[in-house]
Amino acid sequence: MAEKQYGLVVDTKRCVGCHSCSVACKIENNLSAGVIWNRILTNGGASMDSAKGTFPNLSKHYIPMICQHCANPACTKACPVGATYKDITTGAVRQDYDLCIGCRMCMAACPYTGVRSFNWEEPTYTMDFAVGDINVPKHQKHVVEKCTLCYHKLSKGEEPICIDACISGARVFGDLNDPDDKVVNLISKRKYIQLLPERGTNPSVYYLV
Amino acid sequence: MTESTKKTSRSKGQMIAIIIAALIAAIGIGLWAYQLSAGFVNTNMRNLDSWGLYIINFMWFVGLSAGGMIISSAPKVFGAKGFGGISKVAVWVSICCTVLAVAFVLVDLGGPQRVWHLFAYANMSSPLMWDIIVLTLYLIISIVYLWAVLRLEKGKGSAKALRVLSAIALICAVMVHTVTAWIFGLLQARALWYTALLGPWFVSSALVSGLALVLIVVVALRKAGYLELKQENIVKMAKFLGIFMAVDLYFFACDLLTSGFPGAEGATIVAMLTTGALAPFFWTEIILSIIVLFVAFVPTLRTTSLVVCASALAVLAILCKRIQLLVGGFQIPNISYPTVLTGPELSGGGSSLASLSSSLVYVPSPLEFGIVIGVLGLGALLLLLGIRLLPLKPAAEDN
Repeated sequence: MAEKQYGLVVDTKRCVGCHSCSVACKIENNLSAGVIWNRILTNGGASMDSAKGTFPNLSKHYIPMICQHCANPACTKACPVGATYKDITTGAVRQDYDLCIGCRMCMAACPYTGVRSFNWEEPTYTMDFAVGDINVPKHQKHVVEKCTLCYHKLSKGEEPICIDACISGARVFGDLNDPDDKVVNLISKRKYIQLLPERGTNPSVYYLV
Repeated sequence: MTESTKKTSRSKGQMIAIIIAALIAAIGIGLWAYQLSAGFVNTNMRNLDSWGLYIINFMWFVGLSAGGMIISSAPKVFGAKGFGGISKVAVWVSICCTVLAVAFVLVDLGGPQRVWHLFAYANMSSPLMWDIIVLTLYLIISIVYLWAVLRLEKGKGSAKALRVLSAIALICAVMVHTVTAWIFGLLQARALWYTALLGPWFVSSALVSGLALVLIVVVALRKAGYLELKQENIVKMAKFLGIFMAVDLYFFACDLLTSGFPGAEGATIVAMLTTGALAPFFWTEIILSIIVLFVAFVPTLRTTSLVVCASALAVLAILCKRIQLLVGGFQIPNISYPTVLTGPELSGGGSSLASLSSSLVYVPSPLEFGIVIGVLGLGALLLLLGIRLLPLKPAAEDN
């Protein structure tokens, strides 16, 4: 077990589906065109933000979706070269673009549909200059990438950008192994779910419901 | 035609075939270079169907490599009568198929220039790493085995040593299929793959397709006058083909029942295979398999031409199975909130998925077909070169 296991608690009752975290993530990490690491899923119809059901019996809720930084990740075992690995000091599941051979074994192994993306072509950008943090590793063609839990910020003792960006305080960041941490406090008091618990990965993203 | 002109014309035909195969392989290499420079975006693989035609072919060719090695080594291990001098050709077919399987993994890699990372930074917990090790071992043992058989024919080496080598080769052959199955079968993420049956099932499928391929090759070589083979050996192999096919179908039935019976998550899989997006491949496999069983088990149907046809159908049936397995593994998303599936970056090039499991996500692009044909050209080249240059003809006493 990692010394620390940083993770997120997402209050789905507070999330208003504004996509601010998603946009902040995209800018902070200088994500290339077509790539989104942090997606806001809707339980309704086929398009973004659509409600479920027919009028007047409508409901809507959001599941902000990122890499779950599992305590027992399926992907790290599957990678043949150790390009995706669990960081011992933070518990984040990291990707080393320089090691990745592009076999996409991790994409097959990860149960959380769509959190990983492969750069199917040379990354292109909307801006003609890099945005976001200077310490973000350069994106490469033909490697797999995903949410890094903003490792460049974690290593400086800061929180991931999506936490700062959330307008409604729905996202809380902390160490799940520390009994005194605010995230542990939240999940001990509120009802929560983890996604796909039956797969045994023990994800580090908790959704308050 | 006299005997000698017949021989030169055959040799000329062989030369032309070798040149054509080499050209196809060269075009394939060109297309591969294009895929790497212009990007994988030219394939129809995307984030939600991240493996495609290459990995289907990888599974298929690992399976095809089984037959030769197993029908050659198993009789030697158990001291049984073999299949009449075809073992060297059979092992060569096996070696060619193994090389192709490795080639299909290579063309699927985003960064083949980093392939040395596999040795420098090997992560031993990865089933893919295990498979790379076992495949390499299998390739080496196949080559050593062929060399030992050839040496023994010249009266060098000991028969006992060859028998020990046969046993190692046989175990290795079984392991190759099992470990290849584990690449898929150990991933809890994909409900279709995550079953303990996948290992044995890959072995049975490998036996079906591998034996069928050897049958096709030896009958073709007999027709071309390269080797002689008694009809009884063909009949014997056809019977084995039937048995292997029956076992394969039995495993399929067991797996479908276990998946479907609780009526829970697995029922979606059974529906996808039998009535959903993959139904054409499922039913093609079933119908072809039943035809194979008839040809193999009805004595009057076991004529050479029908046995060859049945073998071709068996190879195709296993291809249908590989397609179901690979495409089906990606077809059902675990998190099925619709927005996961929208957006061009996530699902098929051009074939975006409107609603869940309603249509086939993945259809290969022309580039993928082109590269596959190129790799097949490489295989034909290897096969022909082996037949031309290596002493693979049966020794007189084997017949």
